[in-house]
Amino acid sequence: MAWRASLSRSLKEIRVLFCQSSPASAAAREFVKKNYGDIKARNPSLPFLVRECSGVQPQLWARYDMGVERCVNLDGLTEAQIDKKLEELAKAGESLKTK
Amino acid sequence: MAFLARALRQSNWRLSSRCPAVAASCRWISPTAAAGSPEAGAAVAPADLELPPPREPVGGARVELPPNPEDALEVFVDGHAVRIPKGFTVLQACEVAGVDIPRFCYHSRLSIAGNCRMCLVEVEKSPKPVASCAMPALPGMKIKTNTPVAKKAREGVMEFLLMNHPLDCPICDQGGECDLQDQSMAFGADRGRFTEMKRSVVDKNLGPLVKTVMTRCIQCTRCVRFATEVAGVQDLGMLGRGSGEEIGTYVEKLMTSELSGNVIDICPVGALTSKPFAFKARNWELKGTETIDVTDAVGSNIRIDSRGPEVMRVVPRLNEDINEEWISDKTRFCYDGLKRQRLNDPMIRGPDGRFKAVTWRDALAVIAEVLHQVKPEEITGVAGKLSDAESMMALKDFVNRMGSDKVLCEGNGPNPPADLRSNYLMNTSIAGLEKADVFLLVGTQPRVEAAMVNARIRKTVKATQAKVGYIGPPADFNYDHEHLGTGPQTLVEIAEGSHPFCSVLQSAKNPVIIAGAGLFEREDQVALFSTIETVAKKFNVMRPDWNGLNVLLLHAAQAAALDLGLVANPAESIKSAKFLYLMGADDISLEKLPDDAFVVYQGHHGDKGVYRANVILPSSAFSEKEGTYENTEGCTQWTIPAVPTVGDARDDWKIIRALSEVAGAQLPYDSLSAVRDRISTVAPNLVHVDERETPTISAEVKPPVKQQVSSTPFKAVVENFYMTDAITRASKIMAQCSATLLKK
Repeated sequence: MAWRASLSRSLKEIRVLFCQSSPASAAAREFVKKNYGDIKARNPSLPFLVRECSGVQPQLWARYDMGVERCVNLDGLTEAQIDKKLEELAKAGESLKTK
Repeated sequence: MAFLARALRQSNWRLSSRCPAVAASCRWISPTAAAGSPEAGAAVAPADLELPPPREPVGGARVELPPNPEDALEVFVDGHAVRIPKGFTVLQACEVAGVDIPRFCYHSRLSIAGNCRMCLVEVEKSPKPVASCAMPALPGMKIKTNTPVAKKAREGVMEFLLMNHPLDCPICDQGGECDLQDQSMAFGADRGRFTEMKRSVVDKNLGPLVKTVMTRCIQCTRCVRFATEVAGVQDLGMLGRGSGEEIGTYVEKLMTSELSGNVIDICPVGALTSKPFAFKARNWELKGTETIDVTDAVGSNIRIDSRGPEVMRVVPRLNEDINEEWISDKTRFCYDGLKRQRLNDPMIRGPDGRFKAVTWRDALAVIAEVLHQVKPEEITGVAGKLSDAESMMALKDFVNRMGSDKVLCEGNGPNPPADLRSNYLMNTSIAGLEKADVFLLVGTQPRVEAAMVNARIRKTVKATQAKVGYIGPPADFNYDHEHLGTGPQTLVEIAEGSHPFCSVLQSAKNPVIIAGAGLFEREDQVALFSTIETVAKKFNVMRPDWNGLNVLLLHAAQAAALDLGLVANPAESIKSAKFLYLMGADDISLEKLPDDAFVVYQGHHGDKGVYRANVILPSSAFSEKEGTYENTEGCTQWTIPAVPTVGDARDDWKIIRALSEVAGAQLPYDSLSAVRDRISTVAPNLVHVDERETPTISAEVKPPVKQQVSSTPFKAVVENFYMTDAITRASKIMAQCSATLLKK
């Protein structure tokens, strides 16, 4: 989990969108409940916006420098896979920085 | 009446449309003659004796059959059987049956007085006509509303009412929307028999908002009951008896409630009318547009009556969940601010310090040139109190694409709690406050911060004797409350369990904690809300079936700004700014701004922000544009343009979109629907119009807080209820209210 401490350097904003009650968003809801505290403790100033809305497909958005954004659809993923996706987005931010 | 039907559907959230396009297409613009009071409109409808009366409930009738059949009963109205809940009155039963009973003193949100006698109906086995508003409906009761006895009774009552009523309809401001006019046409006799002198009554002085012509008063006591029950001020009362009866303030006294303008709506005659609107227009000349109020965070539903390019008045429209059918005086009377101090041309400050009007092309070119001279991290964008979600989305996208993260909304403090929606919304909902039995107000004064929420709290306190505990500076409440302390130490005592108020919270079934948004501005905001969350956990305020932890926001843009993630620290952002973009931001402190900073002010009023500006860009006010606003409970609502834009002003988001193109960081949306599509990728709840999206992730997932609570006392956030934003500061009516009504 060392990559979590450097999220602030590679990402400008994290957004998680999901539905409050649908089964497709269950993994996203559990991921936020279990991991929000840890991510926020390591990155107090990084916006981690959790937006719940009925009927919304679960999505994970990352914003990088210059307003560049990437989105990952979380439908069908498990919590571990969501964690992996977040790590990939953070690494993508690192590579964007070096350009 | 169609807008009432839509409002009724709106008040039941289960029936709300989930498609924004359908919700938008339901909105319409109507001549206000058709949109008068439901009683007046329905009473005029001719009774077609050939057809049975319609079975749909009367517009405005509110009925919800209880699930238990034992709690319902059956009555017969004009031969038709209807099922109603127990406890309904005869008048309510008739409304459910589709029969509109004329009335003057009855109002569905006030207590029953029964003194006008206009609602007389005939009940089988009853020797005399019955006042239907005061008679409970009994099982099997046979009600007749269209018999010669009932008609004769109403005719007699109308004759008595018109006895002393002045025949000054041509000069009365209530003309065209007067219940007395309409009901005398429908139920009165065709001639008068009164030949003696009519009495006259001295007019009372209620202040700069309500004009009185007390000779027209029919003593229905609606205003007395409204002032006592809803507004919570004992200003009005009945004096004298018999033919000497007068409504007044007993002694010379102004009506000082924040809701006093609503007596204009509930007065069925022209005794109480709007003083600023006196002799300005007739209601059939006006075009009504349904839109949303932006003077506070409640998002009251209003109808703007306009004539050509001018807003003539603002009246409430029905929304059971948010404002019922009331609005605050600030909402109702600040409309003349929309006509004064307006910016209408782009302007650039010249070397001599004076502003010179230029074209849009020149202004945008100058701004883009300066943008390329500063470093990306020196760019700061500030959204103002009245910004809509589309403009804030465009501003955030633009500043982000220029390489800066410093986008904020004024009033959200140094560390906005934007991550979890439950941390900044009124989670109980405004209507849900009526189920509470204990209120703990922390650093908030709802009477001046959100008058409509205060009316709900007062309604709950009166109905169920709910307890109110208040932590903050000494303030004026219009219900019983217990002042627990002035600062966070009291809150810490409650969290530790050593305060006497803990026993009240412990015994509560549905406790409510309301924190004021003024707490966002404190440096110890994180620790303070952590303490509030500790109190909430300790006293079971957050459960699966009840969430009583609330934040009462201060202005219209705040909830949407937090949803969209405008979370930059204002002090640091201003201090390091070399390019500052103020989008209607007039109340943010610019003391720390460097002297060589370039300031762009985009807004609709020449208010505080223009004094420091290098470029001024005119934009539309809320009454002139389509915009998305989210209120303090998280309900998304749209404004509809009622009047054309002033001068060469444009919509806020369109200005930023054009600027992005000139600056070389073009934003990808060209239409309002494209902006809203973009918003749906950031905060999808902002495109679900007229709906609340309940957050389920609570504060329990947050990491522990190491910060300590400061001992600085809470301070009042709203010093002057009548002047809180650029529109109200430009209003002459609000200036008069500040001068005469503010308590010193």
